[in-house]
Amino acid sequence: MTSELLAVDAVWKRYGARDALRDVRFTLQSGEAVGYLGPNGAGKTTTLKLLAGIARPTRGSVRLRGLDPVRDRTRALRRLGALVETPAVPPYLTGADLLEYVARVKGIPAAERAHAARRAAEALDVVEHLDRPFGSLSTGLGRRMLLASTMVGDPELLLLDEPTLGLDPAARHDLRELLCTLSRQGLTILLSTHLIEDVEEVCGRVLFLRDGSLVGDEPVGLTSDRDSPGSARTLRLAFASEVAPDSVARTAGDDVEVSVDGPRRLTVRFPGGEAEQTRLLSSLIRAGLPLLTAAPPESELARRYMERVGREGSS
Amino acid sequence: MSSESAAFVHNARWEVTRLWRSRRIWLFLIPVVAGPIGSAIADLYLRVPSAATAEVLGLLIVAGLASLVVLDLTALAVGEDLALRTQYLTFALPQSRTSSLAGRLAIVVGGTVGAYGAGAAAVLAIAPSLVSTSSTAPNPILVPAHLAYGGIGLLVFLGGVTAAAAIVTRSAAQALVAGVLAGVLAAGIGSMLLIQGRLTALFPEVAAAAGLAGVVWCVVQYGRIEG
Repeated sequence: MTSELLAVDAVWKRYGARDALRDVRFTLQSGEAVGYLGPNGAGKTTTLKLLAGIARPTRGSVRLRGLDPVRDRTRALRRLGALVETPAVPPYLTGADLLEYVARVKGIPAAERAHAARRAAEALDVVEHLDRPFGSLSTGLGRRMLLASTMVGDPELLLLDEPTLGLDPAARHDLRELLCTLSRQGLTILLSTHLIEDVEEVCGRVLFLRDGSLVGDEPVGLTSDRDSPGSARTLRLAFASEVAPDSVARTAGDDVEVSVDGPRRLTVRFPGGEAEQTRLLSSLIRAGLPLLTAAPPESELARRYMERVGREGSS
Repeated sequence: MSSESAAFVHNARWEVTRLWRSRRIWLFLIPVVAGPIGSAIADLYLRVPSAATAEVLGLLIVAGLASLVVLDLTALAVGEDLALRTQYLTFALPQSRTSSLAGRLAIVVGGTVGAYGAGAAAVLAIAPSLVSTSSTAPNPILVPAHLAYGGIGLLVFLGGVTAAAAIVTRSAAQALVAGVLAGVLAAGIGSMLLIQGRLTALFPEVAAAAGLAGVVWCVVQYGRIEG
Protein backbone atom coordinates (compact mmCIF):
# COMPACT_ATOMS: atom_id res chain seq x y z
CA MET A 1 0.00 0.00 0.00
CA THR A 2 1.43 3.37 -0.99
CA SER A 3 1.10 6.70 0.76
CA GLU A 4 2.36 10.17 0.02
CA LEU A 5 5.87 10.52 1.39
CA LEU A 6 7.02 13.75 -0.17
CA ALA A 7 5.09 16.73 -1.48
CA VAL A 8 6.70 19.59 -3.36
CA ASP A 9 4.14 22.31 -3.89
CA ALA A 10 4.63 25.37 -6.12
CA VAL A 11 8.26 25.74 -5.13
CA TRP A 12 10.34 28.63 -6.37
CA LYS A 13 13.98 29.19 -5.51
CA ARG A 14 15.70 32.43 -6.38
CA TYR A 15 19.44 33.11 -6.18
CA GLY A 16 20.05 36.81 -6.69
CA ALA A 17 18.24 37.79 -9.88
CA ARG A 18 18.00 34.22 -11.19
CA ASP A 19 15.18 31.77 -10.60
CA ALA A 20 16.84 28.40 -10.05
CA LEU A 21 13.42 26.73 -9.66
CA ARG A 22 10.07 27.89 -10.96
CA ASP A 23 6.80 26.59 -9.68
CA VAL A 24 8.00 23.01 -9.25
CA ARG A 25 5.29 20.60 -8.08
CA PHE A 26 5.41 16.86 -7.63
CA THR A 27 4.75 14.17 -5.07
CA LEU A 28 6.45 10.90 -4.27
CA GLN A 29 4.54 7.89 -3.06
CA SER A 30 6.28 5.51 -0.70
CA GLY A 31 8.07 2.72 -2.52
CA GLU A 32 8.53 4.66 -5.77
CA ALA A 33 11.87 5.01 -7.55
CA VAL A 34 11.77 8.26 -9.46
CA GLY A 35 14.39 9.68 -11.80
CA TYR A 36 15.01 13.41 -11.85
CA LEU A 37 16.49 14.16 -15.24
CA GLY A 38 17.80 17.41 -16.61
CA PRO A 39 20.95 18.96 -17.97
CA ASN A 40 23.60 20.64 -15.83
CA GLY A 41 22.23 23.79 -14.24
CA ALA A 42 18.58 22.78 -14.66
CA GLY A 43 17.96 22.94 -10.91
CA LYS A 44 18.21 19.28 -9.90
CA THR A 45 20.68 19.80 -7.08
CA THR A 46 18.80 22.89 -5.89
CA THR A 47 15.66 20.76 -5.61
CA LEU A 48 17.49 18.11 -3.61
CA LYS A 49 18.91 20.77 -1.29
CA LEU A 50 15.37 21.95 -0.56
CA LEU A 51 14.16 18.40 0.07
CA ALA A 52 17.09 17.65 2.39
CA GLY A 53 16.59 20.82 4.44
CA ILE A 54 19.88 22.31 3.26
CA ALA A 55 18.19 25.31 1.64
CA ARG A 56 14.79 26.99 1.98
CA PRO A 57 12.41 27.61 -0.88
CA THR A 58 11.86 31.26 -1.76
CA ARG A 59 8.17 30.43 -2.27
CA GLY A 60 6.09 27.28 -1.99
CA SER A 61 6.48 24.38 0.37
CA VAL A 62 8.25 21.07 0.78
CA ARG A 63 6.78 18.46 3.10
CA LEU A 64 8.27 15.16 4.15
CA ARG A 65 5.49 13.10 5.72
CA GLY A 66 3.78 16.45 6.29
CA LEU A 67 6.79 18.02 8.04
CA ASP A 68 8.88 21.00 6.91
CA PRO A 69 12.49 19.79 6.49
CA VAL A 70 13.91 23.18 7.51
CA ARG A 71 11.65 24.26 10.38
CA ASP A 72 11.06 20.80 11.77
CA ARG A 73 14.34 19.26 10.68
CA THR A 74 14.95 17.01 13.66
CA ARG A 75 11.72 15.10 12.99
CA ALA A 76 11.45 15.51 9.22
CA LEU A 77 14.99 14.37 8.40
CA ARG A 78 15.11 11.40 10.75
CA ARG A 79 13.92 8.93 8.07
CA LEU A 80 15.78 10.57 5.21
CA GLY A 81 19.05 9.54 3.61
CA ALA A 82 20.55 12.16 1.34
CA LEU A 83 23.69 12.41 -0.72
CA VAL A 84 23.74 15.86 -2.30
CA GLU A 85 26.57 17.51 -4.27
CA THR A 86 29.09 14.66 -3.83
CA PRO A 87 30.51 15.69 -0.46
CA ALA A 88 33.94 14.54 0.67
CA VAL A 89 34.87 13.38 4.13
CA PRO A 90 38.20 14.40 5.74
CA PRO A 91 40.75 11.74 4.71
CA TYR A 92 41.74 10.80 8.27
CA LEU A 93 38.21 9.73 9.31
CA THR A 94 37.11 6.12 8.88
CA GLY A 95 33.81 4.80 7.58
CA ALA A 96 33.05 3.48 11.05
CA ASP A 97 33.52 6.98 12.49
CA LEU A 98 31.09 8.46 9.99
CA LEU A 99 28.43 5.75 10.34
CA GLU A 100 28.55 5.91 14.13
CA TYR A 101 28.24 9.71 14.04
CA VAL A 102 25.22 9.51 11.74
CA ALA A 103 23.64 6.84 13.94
CA ARG A 104 24.14 9.03 17.00
CA VAL A 105 22.69 12.12 15.34
CA LYS A 106 19.70 10.11 14.08
CA GLY A 107 18.92 9.27 17.67
CA ILE A 108 19.60 5.55 17.49
CA PRO A 109 20.04 4.23 21.05
CA ALA A 110 23.65 3.52 22.05
CA ALA A 111 23.05 -0.22 22.32
CA GLU A 112 21.80 -0.40 18.73
CA ARG A 113 24.23 2.01 17.05
CA ALA A 114 26.91 -0.50 16.14
CA HIS A 115 24.30 -2.86 14.73
CA ALA A 116 22.63 -0.09 12.70
CA ALA A 117 25.99 1.01 11.29
CA ARG A 118 26.95 -2.54 10.40
CA ARG A 119 23.62 -3.21 8.72
CA ALA A 120 24.04 -0.11 6.57
CA ALA A 121 27.60 -1.16 5.71
CA GLU A 122 26.39 -4.64 4.81
CA ALA A 123 23.77 -3.20 2.47
CA LEU A 124 26.54 -1.45 0.56
CA ASP A 125 29.04 -4.30 0.94
CA VAL A 126 31.63 -2.14 2.68
CA VAL A 127 31.87 -3.91 6.04
CA GLU A 128 35.48 -4.97 5.54
CA HIS A 129 36.48 -1.39 4.73
CA LEU A 130 34.84 0.24 7.75
CA ASP A 131 38.09 0.76 9.62
CA ARG A 132 39.97 2.24 6.70
CA PRO A 133 40.40 6.02 6.51
CA PHE A 134 38.51 7.70 3.68
CA GLY A 135 41.82 8.86 2.23
CA SER A 136 42.77 5.25 1.48
CA LEU A 137 39.49 4.32 -0.27
CA SER A 138 39.02 4.37 -4.04
CA THR A 139 36.45 6.77 -5.49
CA GLY A 140 33.89 4.00 -5.89
CA LEU A 141 34.46 2.58 -2.45
CA GLY A 142 34.34 6.05 -0.90
CA ARG A 143 31.04 6.69 -2.68
CA ARG A 144 29.64 3.43 -1.40
CA MET A 145 30.74 4.32 2.12
CA LEU A 146 28.95 7.66 1.82
CA LEU A 147 25.89 5.83 0.53
CA ALA A 148 26.13 3.51 3.52
CA SER A 149 25.98 6.56 5.78
CA THR A 150 22.68 7.53 4.14
CA MET A 151 21.29 4.06 4.88
CA VAL A 152 21.90 4.27 8.63
CA GLY A 153 18.64 4.21 10.55
CA ASP A 154 16.61 2.56 7.77
CA PRO A 155 15.50 5.66 5.86
CA GLU A 156 12.15 5.78 4.09
CA LEU A 157 13.41 8.11 1.39
CA LEU A 158 16.78 8.22 -0.34
CA LEU A 159 17.78 11.38 -2.21
CA LEU A 160 20.73 10.80 -4.51
CA ASP A 161 22.49 13.42 -6.57
CA GLU A 162 24.48 11.99 -9.48
CA PRO A 163 25.53 8.92 -7.48
CA THR A 164 27.27 7.20 -10.40
CA LEU A 165 29.28 10.22 -11.51
CA GLY A 166 33.01 9.52 -11.65
CA LEU A 167 32.63 5.78 -11.13
CA ASP A 168 34.18 3.23 -13.46
CA PRO A 169 31.74 1.09 -15.50
CA ALA A 170 31.87 -1.87 -13.11
CA ALA A 171 31.27 0.29 -10.04
CA ARG A 172 28.48 2.11 -11.86
CA HIS A 173 26.85 -1.19 -12.77
CA ASP A 174 27.14 -2.43 -9.17
CA LEU A 175 25.63 0.75 -7.79
CA ARG A 176 22.69 0.58 -10.19
CA GLU A 177 22.11 -3.04 -9.22
CA LEU A 178 22.15 -2.03 -5.59
CA LEU A 179 19.66 0.78 -6.13
CA CYS A 180 17.38 -1.64 -7.98
CA THR A 181 17.58 -4.03 -5.04
CA LEU A 182 16.82 -1.27 -2.54
CA SER A 183 13.90 -0.13 -4.65
CA ARG A 184 12.53 -3.67 -4.81
CA GLN A 185 12.80 -3.79 -1.02
CA GLY A 186 10.41 -0.83 -0.84
CA LEU A 187 12.77 2.09 -0.31
CA THR A 188 11.60 5.30 -1.96
CA ILE A 189 14.33 6.77 -4.16
CA LEU A 190 14.65 10.12 -5.90
CA LEU A 191 17.57 9.80 -8.27
CA SER A 192 18.83 13.07 -9.69
CA THR A 193 21.07 12.56 -12.67
CA HIS A 194 21.77 13.53 -16.23
CA LEU A 195 22.57 9.92 -17.16
CA ILE A 196 19.56 8.39 -18.85
CA GLU A 197 20.82 4.83 -18.33
CA ASP A 198 20.73 5.34 -14.55
CA VAL A 199 17.06 6.21 -14.69
CA GLU A 200 16.21 3.46 -17.19
CA GLU A 201 17.68 0.79 -14.98
CA VAL A 202 16.57 1.98 -11.57
CA CYS A 203 13.39 4.02 -11.87
CA GLY A 204 9.78 3.46 -12.80
CA ARG A 205 8.89 7.13 -13.16
CA VAL A 206 10.79 10.12 -14.42
CA LEU A 207 10.59 13.88 -13.89
CA PHE A 208 12.15 16.12 -16.54
CA LEU A 209 13.53 19.46 -15.43
CA ARG A 210 14.54 22.26 -17.75
CA ASP A 211 15.69 25.74 -16.70
CA GLY A 212 14.17 25.29 -13.26
CA SER A 213 10.75 24.18 -14.52
CA LEU A 214 9.28 20.71 -14.46
CA VAL A 215 8.47 19.84 -18.08
CA GLY A 216 7.51 16.19 -17.73
CA ASP A 217 6.31 13.68 -15.15
CA GLU A 218 5.72 10.27 -16.73
CA PRO A 219 6.54 6.56 -16.55
CA VAL A 220 10.05 5.64 -17.62
CA GLY A 221 8.66 3.26 -20.22
CA LEU A 222 9.27 -0.34 -21.13
CA THR A 223 12.58 -0.28 -22.93
CA SER A 224 13.92 -2.92 -20.59
CA ASP A 225 11.34 -5.54 -21.60
CA ARG A 226 12.22 -5.48 -25.27
CA ASP A 227 12.94 -9.19 -25.20
CA SER A 228 9.49 -10.10 -24.00
CA PRO A 229 7.44 -12.39 -26.28
CA GLY A 230 6.03 -10.57 -29.27
CA SER A 231 8.37 -7.60 -28.95
CA ALA A 232 10.47 -6.25 -31.78
CA ARG A 233 14.06 -5.08 -31.94
CA THR A 234 15.53 -2.22 -33.87
CA LEU A 235 19.16 -1.98 -34.99
CA ARG A 236 21.06 0.72 -36.77
CA LEU A 237 23.47 -0.76 -39.30
CA ALA A 238 26.51 0.99 -40.74
CA PHE A 239 28.30 -0.35 -43.84
CA ALA A 240 31.79 0.24 -45.19
CA SER A 241 30.37 1.08 -48.63
CA GLU A 242 26.98 1.85 -50.11
CA VAL A 243 24.56 -1.08 -50.14
CA ALA A 244 21.15 -1.48 -51.74
CA PRO A 245 18.33 -1.71 -49.18
CA ASP A 246 16.70 -4.43 -51.33
CA SER A 247 19.73 -6.68 -51.01
CA VAL A 248 19.63 -6.32 -47.24
CA ALA A 249 15.89 -6.99 -47.16
CA ARG A 250 16.29 -10.11 -49.34
CA THR A 251 19.08 -11.45 -47.17
CA ALA A 252 17.38 -10.67 -43.88
CA GLY A 253 14.04 -12.23 -44.66
CA ASP A 254 10.41 -11.26 -45.11
CA ASP A 255 9.64 -10.27 -41.51
CA VAL A 256 12.43 -7.67 -41.35
CA GLU A 257 11.56 -4.04 -42.10
CA VAL A 258 14.38 -2.02 -43.64
CA SER A 259 14.52 1.77 -43.78
CA VAL A 260 17.24 4.01 -45.19
CA ASP A 261 19.01 6.47 -42.88
CA GLY A 262 21.78 7.48 -45.31
CA PRO A 263 23.95 6.19 -48.18
CA ARG A 264 25.74 3.68 -45.93
CA ARG A 265 23.29 3.54 -43.05
CA LEU A 266 20.13 1.49 -42.66
CA THR A 267 17.74 0.74 -39.82
CA VAL A 268 16.28 -2.76 -39.51
CA ARG A 269 13.33 -3.74 -37.35
CA PHE A 270 12.59 -7.37 -36.71
CA PRO A 271 10.53 -9.51 -34.31
CA GLY A 272 12.30 -11.46 -31.60
CA GLY A 273 15.24 -11.12 -29.27
CA GLU A 274 18.93 -11.89 -29.06
CA ALA A 275 18.78 -15.15 -31.04
CA GLU A 276 17.03 -13.47 -33.99
CA GLN A 277 19.52 -10.62 -33.85
CA THR A 278 22.48 -13.02 -34.04
CA ARG A 279 20.87 -14.90 -36.94
CA LEU A 280 20.20 -11.67 -38.85
CA LEU A 281 23.72 -10.30 -38.47
CA SER A 282 25.30 -13.64 -39.39
CA SER A 283 23.23 -13.84 -42.56
CA LEU A 284 24.25 -10.32 -43.61
CA ILE A 285 27.93 -11.11 -43.13
CA ARG A 286 27.61 -14.49 -44.89
CA ALA A 287 26.01 -12.69 -47.84
CA GLY A 288 29.15 -10.58 -48.18
CA LEU A 289 27.57 -7.28 -47.21
CA PRO A 290 30.28 -4.90 -45.83
CA LEU A 291 28.75 -4.55 -42.37
CA LEU A 292 30.79 -2.34 -40.02
CA THR A 293 28.63 -1.83 -36.93
CA ALA A 294 25.20 -2.75 -35.59
CA ALA A 295 23.87 -0.77 -32.63
CA PRO A 296 20.54 -0.25 -30.94
CA PRO A 297 18.99 3.14 -31.58
CA GLU A 298 18.90 5.68 -28.80
CA SER A 299 16.51 4.62 -26.11
CA GLU A 300 12.91 5.66 -25.95
CA LEU A 301 13.68 7.63 -22.81
CA ALA A 302 16.60 9.37 -24.50
CA ARG A 303 14.28 10.42 -27.30
CA ARG A 304 11.77 11.79 -24.81
CA TYR A 305 14.57 13.53 -22.93
CA MET A 306 15.58 15.34 -26.11
CA GLU A 307 11.96 16.26 -26.78
CA ARG A 308 11.30 17.60 -23.28
CA VAL A 309 14.65 19.03 -22.32
CA GLY A 310 16.58 19.46 -25.56
CA ARG A 311 20.28 20.11 -25.78
CA GLU A 312 21.97 21.79 -22.86
CA GLY A 313 21.70 25.54 -23.15
CA SER A 314 19.49 25.41 -26.21
CA SER A 315 16.42 26.69 -24.42
CA MET B 1 17.97 16.10 26.52
CA SER B 2 16.59 18.70 24.09
CA SER B 3 17.39 18.39 20.40
CA GLU B 4 19.62 21.48 20.60
CA SER B 5 21.69 20.17 23.47
CA ALA B 6 21.80 16.71 21.88
CA ALA B 7 23.25 18.23 18.69
CA PHE B 8 25.76 20.16 20.80
CA VAL B 9 26.91 17.03 22.64
CA HIS B 10 26.97 14.76 19.56
CA ASN B 11 29.08 17.23 17.62
CA ALA B 12 31.40 17.99 20.52
CA ARG B 13 32.08 14.29 20.58
CA TRP B 14 32.42 14.23 16.79
CA GLU B 15 35.06 16.97 17.06
CA VAL B 16 36.98 14.90 19.62
CA THR B 17 36.89 11.96 17.17
CA ARG B 18 38.19 14.19 14.39
CA LEU B 19 40.95 15.58 16.60
CA TRP B 20 41.92 12.08 17.64
CA ARG B 21 41.93 10.61 14.13
CA SER B 22 43.87 13.53 12.68
CA ARG B 23 46.31 13.47 15.67
CA ARG B 24 45.62 17.16 16.17
CA ILE B 25 44.48 16.38 19.68
CA TRP B 26 48.14 16.32 20.73
CA LEU B 27 48.35 20.04 19.99
CA PHE B 28 46.55 20.60 23.29
CA LEU B 29 49.68 19.35 25.04
CA ILE B 30 51.87 22.08 23.60
CA PRO B 31 50.81 24.92 25.94
CA VAL B 32 50.71 22.50 28.88
CA VAL B 33 54.12 20.88 28.35
CA ALA B 34 56.19 22.99 25.99
CA GLY B 35 55.04 26.26 27.59
CA PRO B 36 56.33 25.64 31.12
CA ILE B 37 59.47 23.83 29.91
CA GLY B 38 60.35 26.61 27.46
CA SER B 39 59.58 29.14 30.11
CA ALA B 40 61.83 27.41 32.66
CA ILE B 41 64.72 27.22 30.20
CA ALA B 42 64.28 30.91 29.38
CA ASP B 43 64.19 31.80 33.09
CA LEU B 44 67.50 30.06 33.74
CA TYR B 45 69.24 31.08 30.53
CA LEU B 46 68.24 34.75 30.63
CA ARG B 47 68.89 35.13 34.36
CA VAL B 48 65.52 36.72 34.94
CA PRO B 49 65.75 39.19 37.86
CA SER B 50 62.53 38.32 39.68
CA ALA B 51 59.95 35.59 40.06
CA ALA B 52 57.23 37.95 38.86
CA THR B 53 59.19 38.70 35.67
CA ALA B 54 59.70 34.96 35.17
CA GLU B 55 55.96 34.45 35.51
CA VAL B 56 55.26 37.19 32.96
CA LEU B 57 57.78 35.67 30.56
CA GLY B 58 56.31 32.20 31.04
CA LEU B 59 52.73 33.37 30.59
CA LEU B 60 53.64 35.15 27.36
CA ILE B 61 55.22 31.94 26.05
CA VAL B 62 52.22 29.81 27.02
CA ALA B 63 49.75 32.33 25.58
CA GLY B 64 51.74 32.50 22.34
CA LEU B 65 51.75 28.74 21.94
CA ALA B 66 48.06 28.48 22.83
CA SER B 67 47.30 31.17 20.26
CA LEU B 68 48.87 29.07 17.53
CA VAL B 69 46.86 26.06 18.67
CA VAL B 70 43.52 27.89 18.76
CA LEU B 71 44.17 29.40 15.32
CA ASP B 72 44.92 26.03 13.77
CA LEU B 73 42.14 24.03 15.40
CA THR B 74 39.43 26.64 14.90
CA ALA B 75 40.34 27.21 11.25
CA LEU B 76 40.12 23.48 10.60
CA ALA B 77 36.97 22.91 12.68
CA VAL B 78 35.02 25.41 10.59
CA GLY B 79 36.89 25.68 7.31
CA GLU B 80 37.79 22.07 6.56
CA ASP B 81 34.21 20.86 6.09
CA LEU B 82 33.24 23.88 4.04
CA ALA B 83 36.21 23.37 1.74
CA LEU B 84 35.47 19.65 1.31
CA ARG B 85 31.68 20.17 1.10
CA THR B 86 31.23 17.78 4.00
CA GLN B 87 28.48 20.08 5.20
CA TYR B 88 26.18 18.65 2.53
CA LEU B 89 26.34 15.41 4.46
CA THR B 90 25.86 16.87 7.94
CA PHE B 91 23.28 19.50 6.95
CA ALA B 92 20.93 16.74 5.78
CA LEU B 93 20.99 15.11 9.21
CA PRO B 94 18.22 15.68 11.75
CA GLN B 95 20.03 18.16 13.96
CA SER B 96 20.31 21.90 14.58
CA ARG B 97 23.15 23.24 12.50
CA THR B 98 23.97 26.09 14.87
CA SER B 99 24.16 23.77 17.86
CA SER B 100 26.29 21.32 15.89
CA LEU B 101 28.93 23.95 15.12
CA ALA B 102 28.71 25.38 18.63
CA GLY B 103 29.51 21.92 20.00
CA ARG B 104 32.57 21.60 17.80
CA LEU B 105 33.82 25.11 18.60
CA ALA B 106 33.33 24.47 22.30
CA ILE B 107 35.87 21.68 22.05
CA VAL B 108 38.53 23.53 20.08
CA VAL B 109 38.25 26.94 21.73
CA GLY B 110 37.34 25.61 25.16
CA GLY B 111 40.00 22.93 24.94
CA THR B 112 42.68 25.45 24.05
CA VAL B 113 41.64 27.82 26.83
CA GLY B 114 41.79 24.84 29.20
CA ALA B 115 45.24 23.88 27.95
CA TYR B 116 46.34 27.50 28.34
CA GLY B 117 44.99 27.51 31.90
CA ALA B 118 46.89 24.36 32.74
CA GLY B 119 50.10 25.74 31.18
CA ALA B 120 49.68 29.07 32.94
CA ALA B 121 49.11 27.34 36.28
CA ALA B 122 52.26 25.29 35.75
CA VAL B 123 54.27 28.43 34.96
CA LEU B 124 52.97 30.21 38.05
CA ALA B 125 53.88 27.18 40.13
CA ILE B 126 57.35 26.60 38.66
CA ALA B 127 58.69 30.13 38.14
CA PRO B 128 59.08 31.13 41.82
CA SER B 129 61.05 27.96 42.53
CA LEU B 130 63.46 28.62 39.66
CA VAL B 131 64.04 32.34 40.12
CA SER B 132 64.77 34.21 43.32
CA THR B 133 63.88 37.88 43.37
CA SER B 134 66.87 40.18 43.95
CA SER B 135 66.42 43.32 46.03
CA THR B 136 67.40 45.48 43.04
CA ALA B 137 65.06 43.78 40.60
CA PRO B 138 62.78 46.15 38.70
CA ASN B 139 59.04 45.61 38.78
CA PRO B 140 57.75 43.48 35.90
CA ILE B 141 56.04 45.32 33.07
CA LEU B 142 52.77 43.49 33.76
CA VAL B 143 51.07 42.01 36.79
CA PRO B 144 51.22 38.21 36.24
CA ALA B 145 47.65 37.62 37.40
CA HIS B 146 46.37 40.31 35.02
CA LEU B 147 48.35 38.82 32.16
CA ALA B 148 46.99 35.33 32.88
CA TYR B 149 43.49 36.74 32.72
CA GLY B 150 44.25 38.73 29.57
CA GLY B 151 45.52 35.59 27.82
CA ILE B 152 42.03 34.07 27.98
CA GLY B 153 40.60 37.16 26.31
CA LEU B 154 43.21 36.93 23.56
CA LEU B 155 42.44 33.25 22.87
CA VAL B 156 38.68 33.82 22.69
CA PHE B 157 39.31 36.78 20.38
CA LEU B 158 41.50 34.73 18.06
CA GLY B 159 39.03 31.82 18.06
CA GLY B 160 36.14 34.12 17.15
CA VAL B 161 37.99 35.95 14.40
CA THR B 162 39.28 32.72 12.87
CA ALA B 163 35.86 31.02 13.00
CA ALA B 164 34.18 34.00 11.36
CA ALA B 165 36.92 34.19 8.72
CA ALA B 166 36.45 30.48 7.95
CA ILE B 167 32.76 31.06 7.27
CA VAL B 168 33.51 33.98 4.97
CA THR B 169 36.40 32.40 3.08
CA ARG B 170 35.28 28.73 3.30
CA SER B 171 38.92 27.85 3.62
CA ALA B 172 40.90 26.76 6.66
CA ALA B 173 44.13 28.16 5.21
CA GLN B 174 42.70 31.61 4.61
CA ALA B 175 41.00 31.62 8.00
CA LEU B 176 44.36 30.83 9.57
CA VAL B 177 45.96 33.81 7.84
CA ALA B 178 43.11 36.06 9.01
CA GLY B 179 43.60 34.79 12.56
CA VAL B 180 47.34 35.45 12.49
CA LEU B 181 46.73 38.99 11.25
CA ALA B 182 44.16 39.52 14.00
CA GLY B 183 46.71 38.26 16.55
CA VAL B 184 49.35 40.65 15.26
CA LEU B 185 46.84 43.49 15.47
CA ALA B 186 45.84 42.59 19.03
CA ALA B 187 49.49 42.32 20.11
CA GLY B 188 50.26 45.66 18.50
CA ILE B 189 47.37 47.45 20.17
CA GLY B 190 48.21 45.82 23.52
CA SER B 191 51.86 46.91 23.25
CA MET B 192 50.86 50.45 22.33
CA LEU B 193 48.52 50.69 25.30
CA LEU B 194 51.24 49.27 27.56
CA ILE B 195 53.79 51.85 26.40
CA GLN B 196 51.24 54.63 26.91
CA GLY B 197 50.48 53.25 30.38
CA ARG B 198 46.82 52.80 29.50
CA LEU B 199 46.66 48.99 29.41
CA THR B 200 43.87 47.83 31.71
CA ALA B 201 41.69 44.75 32.07
CA LEU B 202 39.28 46.43 29.68
CA PHE B 203 41.50 45.55 26.71
CA PRO B 204 41.33 41.74 27.04
CA GLU B 205 37.67 42.02 28.02
CA VAL B 206 36.85 43.91 24.84
CA ALA B 207 38.92 41.42 22.84
CA ALA B 208 37.04 38.50 24.42
CA ALA B 209 33.69 40.17 23.73
CA ALA B 210 34.71 40.67 20.09
CA GLY B 211 35.76 37.03 19.91
CA LEU B 212 32.48 35.83 21.38
CA ALA B 213 30.61 38.03 18.91
CA GLY B 214 32.63 36.38 16.14
CA VAL B 215 31.72 32.91 17.40
CA VAL B 216 28.02 33.80 17.66
CA TRP B 217 28.03 35.33 14.17
CA CYS B 218 29.80 32.23 12.86
CA VAL B 219 27.31 29.72 14.27
CA VAL B 220 24.32 31.81 13.17
CA GLN B 221 25.70 32.08 9.64
CA TYR B 222 26.47 28.36 9.62
CA GLY B 223 22.78 27.72 10.16
CA ARG B 224 21.96 29.80 7.08
CA ILE B 225 24.45 28.40 4.59
CA GLU B 226 22.65 27.03 1.55
CA GLY B 227 25.44 26.10 -0.76
